[in-house]
Amino acid sequence: MHRKLTYLLLFAVLWLVQAFLLNNLTLSIYFHPLIGIVFVLLLPLETPRGVLLLAGLASGLADDWALGSAGVDVMATVFTAFFRPVLLGMLFDKENIREGGIPSPERLGAGGFLRYLLLGVTLHHLLFFLLESLSWTHLGHTLLRLAASVPATAAAGWIAARLLTSKLTVKL
Amino acid sequence: MYKLLEFIRSTYVVFLFVAIEAIAASYYARSSYYTQARMLARANRIAGGVNGWVADAKHYFSLGAENRELLARVEALETELSRYRRAETQALLDEYVAGERKAPYEFVAASVVANSINKDRNFLVFDRGRRNGVLPGMAVLSPGGAMVGYVAECSERYAVAVSVLNTAFRASGRIADTDYFGSISWDGTDPQRVTMVELSKYASPRPGDEVVTTGFSLYFPSDILIGTVESSEMNEGRTAYTVTVRLAADFSALSNVILVRNTDLGEVRGLEQSDKVKEVLRRR
Repeated sequence: MHRKLTYLLLFAVLWLVQAFLLNNLTLSIYFHPLIGIVFVLLLPLETPRGVLLLAGLASGLADDWALGSAGVDVMATVFTAFFRPVLLGMLFDKENIREGGIPSPERLGAGGFLRYLLLGVTLHHLLFFLLESLSWTHLGHTLLRLAASVPATAAAGWIAARLLTSKLTVKL
Repeated sequence: MYKLLEFIRSTYVVFLFVAIEAIAASYYARSSYYTQARMLARANRIAGGVNGWVADAKHYFSLGAENRELLARVEALETELSRYRRAETQALLDEYVAGERKAPYEFVAASVVANSINKDRNFLVFDRGRRNGVLPGMAVLSPGGAMVGYVAECSERYAVAVSVLNTAFRASGRIADTDYFGSISWDGTDPQRVTMVELSKYASPRPGDEVVTTGFSLYFPSDILIGTVESSEMNEGRTAYTVTVRLAADFSALSNVILVRNTDLGEVRGLEQSDKVKEVLRRR
């Protein structure tokens, strides 16, 4: 129950930051972090696939509503949620994943967790930007957007993971 | 029933995933005219690609039948071709058997018995005559293939030829590799040179240019070497060149010659002397 509340809080915080901070930042046309995906990527490793999809749907709907992106974020987030187990299976030992736990630098190792975050975020952002442009002619711009936005979202994911697993959270 | 439930339980994630994606895509596609058009174009492209792939696959599997059809066609065409080939060969053989297919020229080698170069009208005498196949009208060439004259008369064993070095001799000559021609004759002075008159003013003959026979003559095959241009000048009316041609054949050292017979000469002469042609000529 405690964990569920923590994740609900994470969901809300991520959405608020996205809707009120990142959507209003105009640092660059290429800088467009979509931190809603962090919620899906940080769900416990033992989360059933069906729940992952529903979590992706919820996160996507919330972000689409905030961004006005008409289903694009749902498609990208649900896609990433569907392939999250595959991604984890590629990067980590299956036995290790079965043991469960919150994906974090402590649980998966700093390098492994960073790779997982970067790949997951890149997959989501790539889909989002491609679906948004619906054209290969602006692929250069899409890749620039990817290069500028993925590190920011991954950094947000790293911070969120550290907060989720910190002793402060446990005490709460 | 249990198996069905088990199947649904194991695959519901995939169905859920596909359903959510489909609904989201559909919603996105209808969100604006732009996305509607783009999604439709993408869908068409994918459908077109799949159709193309299916067509390619079908084509691949029908290659055997196509190949058999092509082989049958090749077989039919080869059979037809061989029929034509046989017909052509048969026609050629028939011509040979009937004596119609003769070489256009026949050659006879002869030795010069007498030769003069110091008269106005020079002649050559050879040791070959009718019994050797020599006939009046045969061209006479030097061993090097240069023009020497033509046979005027022959006996059973000997033949007499009019030399190029004869003021009565006339032949047409052409600047090699051009279509410009003129009339060749000897003026009776220099046994090494003849004159070509009435050569077109556009011919621009240059010293060293080869002069060859035209093929208009019934005596000489075309492209027989006569000599080379030594000099040229415009005539008084500036309408044509008069060219001095150095003869290729060395008449002072002529011991052997080649006699050339145009096998069609008799036939052409026969036509020229036919009553009908004579009648036409008389009317004019």
